[in-house]
Amino acid sequence: MSELRTIDAIRAALDEALASDKAVCILGEDVTVGGPFGATKGLVERYGDWRIRNTPISEGTVVGLAAGAAAVGLRPIVEVMFVDFITLAMDQLVNHAAKLHYMSGGQIRVPLTIRIQGGAVGAMGAHHSQSLEAWFLHVPGLKVVAPSTPADAKALLLAAIRDDDPVLFLEHRGLYWSRGEVPDDPADAVPTGGAVTRRTGTDATIVSWSRMAHSAEEAAVVLRTDGIDVEVIDLRWLAPLDIEAVLASVRKTHHLVIAHEAVERGGVGAEIAATVAASAREELRGPVTRVGAPFAPVPASAELEALFVPSVEAIVQAVRRSVGRPAAAVG
Amino acid sequence: MTSLPPSPPDDSAELLDLLESMWLIRAFEEKVSELYARGRIKGLLHLGIGQEGVAVGAASRVGGDDVVFGGHRAHAHALAKGADPERLLAELAGRSTGYCAGKGGSMHISAPEVGFVTATGIVAGNIPLALGAAYASVVGDRGIVAMAFFGDGAGQAGQFHESLNIASLWNLPLVLVCENNGYAEFTPLSAHTRVERLAIHAATYGIPASTIDGNDVLAVRAAVGEAVQRARAGGGPTFVEALTYRLRGHYEGDPAKYRELSELSDWKARDPIARYTGALVDRGTLDADGTAVDRIERNARERVERAAESALAGPIPKPSDLLTNVYASEPA
Amino acid sequence: MSPRLRSSELVGQLRTMIRIRRFEEALIQLSESQDVGHFHVYVGQEATGVPALALLQPGDVAYSTHRNHGHLIARGVDPARMMAEILGKATGTNKGKGGTLHLASNEHGFPTTSSSVGGPLPIAVGSGYAFRELGLDRVSVCLFGDGALEEGAWHEAINIAAVWSLPVIFLCENNSLEALGQKANEYPSSTLAAQRLTDLVRPFKVPATAIDGADVRAVHREMGRAVRRARRGAGPTFIEAWTVRWAGSRPIWPQLVTGETDVAYAWDDTAIPPDHAEWFGRQDGLLRYVRDLLAAGRVTRADVVAIDREARAEMAAAVRFALDSPYPAPEEALEDMYA
Repeated sequence: MSELRTIDAIRAALDEALASDKAVCILGEDVTVGGPFGATKGLVERYGDWRIRNTPISEGTVVGLAAGAAAVGLRPIVEVMFVDFITLAMDQLVNHAAKLHYMSGGQIRVPLTIRIQGGAVGAMGAHHSQSLEAWFLHVPGLKVVAPSTPADAKALLLAAIRDDDPVLFLEHRGLYWSRGEVPDDPADAVPTGGAVTRRTGTDATIVSWSRMAHSAEEAAVVLRTDGIDVEVIDLRWLAPLDIEAVLASVRKTHHLVIAHEAVERGGVGAEIAATVAASAREELRGPVTRVGAPFAPVPASAELEALFVPSVEAIVQAVRRSVGRPAAAVG
Repeated sequence: MTSLPPSPPDDSAELLDLLESMWLIRAFEEKVSELYARGRIKGLLHLGIGQEGVAVGAASRVGGDDVVFGGHRAHAHALAKGADPERLLAELAGRSTGYCAGKGGSMHISAPEVGFVTATGIVAGNIPLALGAAYASVVGDRGIVAMAFFGDGAGQAGQFHESLNIASLWNLPLVLVCENNGYAEFTPLSAHTRVERLAIHAATYGIPASTIDGNDVLAVRAAVGEAVQRARAGGGPTFVEALTYRLRGHYEGDPAKYRELSELSDWKARDPIARYTGALVDRGTLDADGTAVDRIERNARERVERAAESALAGPIPKPSDLLTNVYASEPA
Repeated sequence: MSPRLRSSELVGQLRTMIRIRRFEEALIQLSESQDVGHFHVYVGQEATGVPALALLQPGDVAYSTHRNHGHLIARGVDPARMMAEILGKATGTNKGKGGTLHLASNEHGFPTTSSSVGGPLPIAVGSGYAFRELGLDRVSVCLFGDGALEEGAWHEAINIAAVWSLPVIFLCENNSLEALGQKANEYPSSTLAAQRLTDLVRPFKVPATAIDGADVRAVHREMGRAVRRARRGAGPTFIEAWTVRWAGSRPIWPQLVTGETDVAYAWDDTAIPPDHAEWFGRQDGLLRYVRDLLAAGRVTRADVVAIDREARAEMAAAVRFALDSPYPAPEEALEDMYA
């Protein structure tokens, strides 16, 4: 076991993938000098500047290049500096990478990983702070995964790289410097499929992922003092989505809150809510509630940004409403 | 740059192969047009009638391991690369025996076993893909060449520019073949850009470029041959702009009223198949009496006829096929 | 050399350059004591933006990038409101919603600022198109750096501006050079495979020139030509203005690596710190301009000192204003979503 920061766990996964498979390569802006957050630091010295390849600012073509390379047998990883810039690559991502396998009738595989970081932290404004996973989950052919711990970051990134489909690996830069225990031995790596129950409980389920999964756990601690015993599920994979884990939990707790940092309207929470409402109607004893960001671009002002991100308190309130025990007396 | 060794002179068999290949494409496209008009094939079809010289001349210089990426007008390129007309036609007809099990259709043909990786419906969308295959060749030390076919309309796309830049910067084994037929859908090139010859863009990035008569199959073969040699020798990318013309509308059903009939007849007089036939007769490779030519045409049409019959007899995909191959694998 | 303008205009431009310098230095100093978020400064490039934008009229628009502070000040935007915006305050130019990366002031001809590289290019072309369609005698200026030329959006933008003959001026501030001038056959950028940035423009038959961005006269001349061409309907122009990148911009977070600029460096070599002799002695366009104006007798040392004192006071007040201003109220986060 080592205690690693998330960013170091990511680098460890990249290193392991590069060492074990010559088809793996990394393309992105400034990756030879580590990128803005140091994820790829030191790799070019070990693997050379063809496998660790600096690209111009040409996200569209770089994602397309990676898809084309994948189609003929490489296993590329693209680092898109901010999730907001994926917009420049939407044609290659959505029309090509996601669909080549299907359109070719199964002949072509696109084992591509796109690492993107995002999230509203650092008051960087509307072009550097989004959470766009709902777009990707909506595209058949794309897989989407969003780790919340260093151990998950390492194991899931390796899984994403080894997956034969295009995978969007969503990193939250607010978690880059968080520390956690990471198994050293690959044999001890955390299981890479499906959701993980972070905390078991009986009264309500909170489903979340990425940085909000931590807020969900904090909310559970607060609620415990009120005698509300909350189960927290960290989905990790958004596509394919482990709806079975959610349903199993709802059958136990009968109350569901979904919390995500992305804008609430049209977010992944809506997909989960609709699916649960259709599949487990009899199990629910309260409405499915979503906690997400307001319907606005991320404001630059630090104070406004702090209000934009859903708070622990908002999750607590949502659970209380769901279980029919509105806010206790302030004390 | 060191000069490349000259290509060996073509022998008669190779020269005739080119004509046969052009006839196969012509026969195929005309058959497709007929089937479409009769409602036997559906969809959006962009035919390459009149542009056979480019596909055949270029494909004749790439080998078995090399890879080709086409655009929306890709039947000719797939056939020239060796795709089976029956499986291709079955795909156009949406049959599960088609190359893509009926999932891809005309604009998304994929025949990787003959090196035709994919076509695309997005103008210029295949250029970054080909770029990636060239990159893969360098990283994996494979020694293959990647080729992208695209039209003059692609020259205005951002992906085009980004791809030329990266191909040059990284010195990739990429051959860019631009079929400049003067029209991007319904609009002449001059309305889309002040650039008259797209080869000039390549020159901006230091990529060797030429503009040639695309309806002269031997000229295409020579220019692309040089490009492929350069790529294999580690000399980086080349841009070949082949001037040509599509004798039909942008797609089947397009009456092409946006062009002058005189322009059409001028280009018909420069039909690549007729010109090449004449050249082979002049050379003595074909008899002047036309019997050999007729036989070649007849063989092509018969082959296409048989292919069409088999293809159309093929099974329609099952409803459950809709959901297959969305993913290559389930997560671990 | 200074442009052929009246002394009052030349001195006015000098004043603006000094104000920009003091604004950026004040911001960097502020960032040393509190978190102001990530920002980019225009130090060393003042001599390009100021004379160029001085040629614009009300109604003309300009679109900039993440390195926009100098551009906005050059067109008269209030530094206090800019500083407030950078700190996310309600009194900011964008009411705290945009921050440094998206500073905007429509009344000063900055409808928006984009921070995705290449982002402003299509938008600038769009304004040019609108001006032409509406028969307005206005120009649209797109300000961007050398990095933007790698983006496909650049290629699409220049192509359309050219084929439609739009009144757009593409002003590329290339600050990627390590030293003044380019060596023969040296790529201007390690990520762009063109011999010269202006080569990218030639296929489109758009006039393109490359100039020393610290040569105020050259900037004035080329920009003047471009503006006149645009207004008479002769189409777009591309100007590459190269400058040496300021050392304080090289770390990800700007730092006063060369210390605060002392205007006396313009006439007193001995005052220049030896570590930064090249920068202050030859490369800093602001000091070059001071030297030019002094040599031409357009301004005195005392004038310069007085201008500088006023500028420092103005920017100190701007910082105070920003610090004292309130943050936006929470509900403001949802305002201005729709018109």
